[in-house]
Amino acid sequence: MNFGFNEEQKSLGDTVAALLADFPALTGPDPAQARDPAVWQALADLGLFALLVPEAHGGVGLTLVDVALAIEALGAGLAPPIAASTMIATDIIVREGTAAQQASLLPRIATGELRIALAMLENGQGYDPDAVQTVMGGNGVTGSKILVPDADIADLLLVLSRVDGGVGLVLVARDARGVSIRHHADIDPSSGLCEVTLDGAALMDDALVGHAGSGDVVPRLMDAAAIVYAGMAMGMAARMLDAAVDYAKTRVQFGQPIGAFQSIKHRCADMAVAVEAGRSAAYYAFWTAAENDPDRSRSASMAKAYCGEVARDVCNETVQIHGGMGFTWELGLHRFLRRAKVLEHGFGNHVWHYERIMAETLAAQAAGDKAQAA
Amino acid sequence: MDFSYSPQEEGFRTDLRAWLADALPPGWGETVFEPEDEDERAMFRLAWEKKLHAGGWSGINWPVEYGGRGATLVERAIFAEEMARVGAPEGLNIIGHNLAGSTILRHGTEAQKQYFLPRILSSEDVWCQGFSEPNAGSDLASVRTRAERRGDTFIVNGQKIWTSFAQYSQWCFALVRTDPDAPKHKGLSFLLIDMKSPGISIRPLRQISGECEFNETFFDDVEVPVDNIVGDINDGWRIAMTTLAYERGPEDALGRQIRFSQELEKLIDTVAATPRGDAMLIEDPIVRQKLARSVTEVEVMRLNAVRTFSKYLNGDDRGPDASVIKLYWSHAAQNMYEAAMDILGPTAPIAAPDPLSAGGGRFQLSYLQSKAFTIYSGSSEIQRNIIGERMLGLPR
Repeated sequence: MNFGFNEEQKSLGDTVAALLADFPALTGPDPAQARDPAVWQALADLGLFALLVPEAHGGVGLTLVDVALAIEALGAGLAPPIAASTMIATDIIVREGTAAQQASLLPRIATGELRIALAMLENGQGYDPDAVQTVMGGNGVTGSKILVPDADIADLLLVLSRVDGGVGLVLVARDARGVSIRHHADIDPSSGLCEVTLDGAALMDDALVGHAGSGDVVPRLMDAAAIVYAGMAMGMAARMLDAAVDYAKTRVQFGQPIGAFQSIKHRCADMAVAVEAGRSAAYYAFWTAAENDPDRSRSASMAKAYCGEVARDVCNETVQIHGGMGFTWELGLHRFLRRAKVLEHGFGNHVWHYERIMAETLAAQAAGDKAQAA
Repeated sequence: MDFSYSPQEEGFRTDLRAWLADALPPGWGETVFEPEDEDERAMFRLAWEKKLHAGGWSGINWPVEYGGRGATLVERAIFAEEMARVGAPEGLNIIGHNLAGSTILRHGTEAQKQYFLPRILSSEDVWCQGFSEPNAGSDLASVRTRAERRGDTFIVNGQKIWTSFAQYSQWCFALVRTDPDAPKHKGLSFLLIDMKSPGISIRPLRQISGECEFNETFFDDVEVPVDNIVGDINDGWRIAMTTLAYERGPEDALGRQIRFSQELEKLIDTVAATPRGDAMLIEDPIVRQKLARSVTEVEVMRLNAVRTFSKYLNGDDRGPDASVIKLYWSHAAQNMYEAAMDILGPTAPIAAPDPLSAGGGRFQLSYLQSKAFTIYSGSSEIQRNIIGERMLGLPR
């Protein structure tokens, strides 16, 4: 047993962080300037999208644990969401896709040729994947998806849809007949959040990923996405903590750095504890997903709920510690505040995940009681 | 990263499970519980600890030459998990094992190790901790208890406070002033004091829970052989910092996490069996949110401890991460008991032995006890100073 990362895993995180730092506009004050298409290409050139693809399909064959720190770096660097979305989709195709889907899609994912957006939420339906109304039929997919990150720059859409009475994931090309895309007005324009209307949208050949209604495809997607979002949230939280601490060391008021005042020092300490705790939750969840451990869903929900709250709180506190400067547009802390809000509400907010944790816990406790009685 | 266990580690678990199946009293946790009376409970815990020792399950990761099992920190974590799984009793000599033993193991002389460590593991010697004084709480380095050297003995005079389990202890480790003229951190020494020595008296202090776990301890011309110093004279602060690192560290946190996860499971069972109007309390979405938050925080407590174990196994030094662990678990546990009182609602104020008390009054008692968590072994304010200054590098 070892709860640490190895040198390759750490180095992967450092490399992604260094690459994103070469694009200062990503974290600059204006979210509208933060959608540079060159970032995707740079990440693809680095080989990021090949990491989760098995070697047989032209990839590196790594696990979610191997890329955990790289995902933190995507969060900390406010990378375009399509990068994380594509990695989540890759995990699903690797785990659940048919042999034909893997053969046709994975080599192109590995080279960065395919950008995949995740179309989940629907207006009026909350977070529950089982509640979707979008339906796949003989004429294609019909329904309306909201808050799809980077849908406008995607090549493929992975659409949560009703299929044969169950719920499944289907692949639709972004430029297919019957697909129309509208940008939302939203809190984080750098996330490229779109409404996607599917009006009998043409399916790709072999469009259904895994099996609808039964199987693990939708829970696996919810878990993998929750974990990746939790990892990105922790990357952001750690970066904001660093910003707050750096500012507290240099900003002088009443003749001393404000970090010498316990009111500020103690807030920073509480943030540091929250960041460590969130990382414990997130890293463990990355491991359960990599191993497909029985604790996967519970730990994914814990990570998503908890890390979402941590990132939100740390972003809030960091603005407060920066005082008037924190509230300015130019300093750009608002970019993290905005992105954190998007991550917090993607793939279930803390309320939805806490309910899921409770359901899992009660089921486990009942199973334990039953085993003890027997 | 790997949370799976090696065959050796799995073998350790299997052996422990087999032993536990015979060692716990029949009906343990179902119909058989710890005694209600404080003194009887203390003796029950001591007997359990001695049984563990007799079975070879004391000092899991201590060296074999001092009576330990010579296992790894991972096996120690497995031990904690298995104790949690069966709801095993706590021990009485926690201060002996976690603090006195760890400190002597790290800084003691060979003779001290040979003498004291096996007696700690067997719980022949129960230990208490003489750090705080009425005027030295968070400002621990300002302790005034004096130890004057006369030939081969120190003569100790002064008063310690909040000495938990002093009434059951054979030994006390104490931070005392050996040089009143030196700067306050530089005139301290770390002494091992036999509680049977003439001149020691204790007076129980009643806590907000109504219990008397801790005491005032008075030293009146108490003679302590000079051989009972740990480290050099006037080097006691450094030794005490080791003690505190263990007191706040992952071993301690994992042991506590066991108890919190047991209590949380009991809370969930209680809530699941409690009617509220036409439904059961467990169906209330607000109750479920509060419980799930605590389920998460108690799990994070475990993960924090295991993650820190791994850091040590991978060669990192013990540092301010102990403060991170302690600050986290103490507040998370307080949150849990506060949530329990919220959730139980109108009957929350009813205490044992009233038949209407929820869960036999245990949640209320634990709620009251939990107020100590953020105060002892360094208040939260002190932990935040340590994290802020030593981990984040903020100015003093």
